[in-house]
Amino acid sequence: MTAKYAFFKGCFVPVRLPWVEKAAYKTLGNLDIQLVDVDEFTCCPEPVGVGIVDNLTWLAIAARNLAIAEEKNLDILTICNGCTYTLRNTIHKLNENKTLLTKVNEIIADTGHSYKGKAKVHHFVEVLRDDVGLKKLKNSVKRPLSELTVATHTGCHILSPKEVMNFDNPFDPTTLDDFVVALGATPAEYDMKTMCCGWTLMTYGAREGAYKLLGDKLSDMKKAKADCVAVICPQCFYQFDMGQWIASRKDIPQYSLPVFFYLQLLDLAMGANIEEVGYSLHKVQNLSLVAKIR
Amino acid sequence: MPVQIQYKAKDRLLKKYPKIEVCLKCNTCAIVDPVIYANGFSPTNTFINNVFSASEPEKNPNIWLCVSCHKCEEICPYEVKPVEVIEALKDEAFEKGYAPEAIREEIKQVLTTGYAFPIFQSLAYINRIRGNLGLKTLQERKIEDIKKIVNKTGLEAKIVGGKSR
Repeated sequence: MTAKYAFFKGCFVPVRLPWVEKAAYKTLGNLDIQLVDVDEFTCCPEPVGVGIVDNLTWLAIAARNLAIAEEKNLDILTICNGCTYTLRNTIHKLNENKTLLTKVNEIIADTGHSYKGKAKVHHFVEVLRDDVGLKKLKNSVKRPLSELTVATHTGCHILSPKEVMNFDNPFDPTTLDDFVVALGATPAEYDMKTMCCGWTLMTYGAREGAYKLLGDKLSDMKKAKADCVAVICPQCFYQFDMGQWIASRKDIPQYSLPVFFYLQLLDLAMGANIEEVGYSLHKVQNLSLVAKIR
Repeated sequence: MPVQIQYKAKDRLLKKYPKIEVCLKCNTCAIVDPVIYANGFSPTNTFINNVFSASEPEKNPNIWLCVSCHKCEEICPYEVKPVEVIEALKDEAFEKGYAPEAIREEIKQVLTTGYAFPIFQSLAYINRIRGNLGLKTLQERKIEDIKKIVNKTGLEAKIVGGKSR
C-alpha cells in the first residue's frame, strides 16, 4: 500500500542541494511512499534565527504550515532536522498550552488557516524506521555497499530536546548506524559522534572555531577508517562538504572525506550510479571512494 | 572567586527561569557544547559569568554561536536549562540591535521571500541545476500570508526600528 505524505522540502535542500530532493522522490517512491508537493508551504521557519528572536512569529508561521497539511489530511514528511525541530516543537508547545494555541490561531486567522492540533511531522528517517521498516529497506538493496565504512552524523536538532523530538538517545544515537548496516555497509565507531557539525559557529561569527571542530571530527572519523560521512540534515551536509573544502584550503589537513545525505546512499544501494546521485556537484570528492562502490 | 551580580535584567530572568540559580558551575555542560571551539566561550563562561556578572550580557557576540542543540540541558546534573537563558538574551539583544548581520538578514529573507536565505539573485543558476536534475523550477513563496502574520506579531517593526545597521 502506498503511504502519502505532504512533502516539506524546506529551504536548504531545494535551493542548495537539489540532488537530495531528487533522491528523496526516487528512493522513497521505490519504497511505496508518495510525496505530495505542497506549494503553499513557506520556510518552517528556521529555528536558530527566527525561532529565537521572535518566538510568536516562529510559532505562527509554523502553525500555518501545519494547518495546511491538516487541511489536506496528510502527515508531513521532512528532509531536514531544523524543519523537524521547528514543526515538532510548535506542535508540542501549542498542544499543551490552549491559551497560546488560541493566540497563535488569532494571529494566523487572516491567512484563512487554523491549526487544529492534529498534524503529525515525521523526519524521513522516522518514516523509514517506523513505517517502512528495516526489513523492507534491506530488501530494496540491489547493490550492497559492502566495501564502505560510513561515519554517521545524526545532527543536533532531531535528538534534542529528547521529550519533544523523541527520536533516539541524544548521547548515543544508533538509528543511523542500523540504517547503514541495512545497506550492507559498516558503521564507523568514532569518538565525537554527537558533537555538532559547527554550522552556527561558521555562520554567526566563529569560522576559525568551526574549522577546528571540523578538523577534530573528521580526524576521528578517519581514525575509525571511514570512507565517507552520512548525514540526514542539509546544514550538516553543507558544513561537512563546503565547510571541509574551505577549511582544508588553509586550516586543517586534507581529509578528502566525502559526505552523503542518507538518501543518496540508499539510491546507490538501490542501484543508481555515482553520477546519478549528484556526486559531481559535491565539493569534496575522492576517487578511492568511487572505486569502492561497484 | 565569588561571582559578582550586576546584571540589571537579572531579576527578570531569574523570575522567568528560576533554575538558573541552581547552577553550581560544575562545567559538565562545557564538555558537550560545540561552542567551546570558539575563543573564550563555554556555557559556564558565557551563561553563568555573563548572566550573573556582566552588566549587559546581551551584548556578548558569543551568545549567537549557540545552536540550541540542548546538549547542555540534557547533560546537566541539576536540570538547569542554559539554552532558555541564552535564547532570552538573544531575543533581548535583537530588540536592542546587537544581533549579527547574518541573523537580521536571514529574518528579512524569511519575511520577504519565504526562504531562509537569499535566493533570487541566483535563481536562474539554481533553476538550471534543478532543470538538469528533472526537478520543477523554484517559484516565489506565498509571502502575503507571512506579511499578514508579521503585521500582527510586530516583528517587522523590531527590525526596522532596531538600532542595528
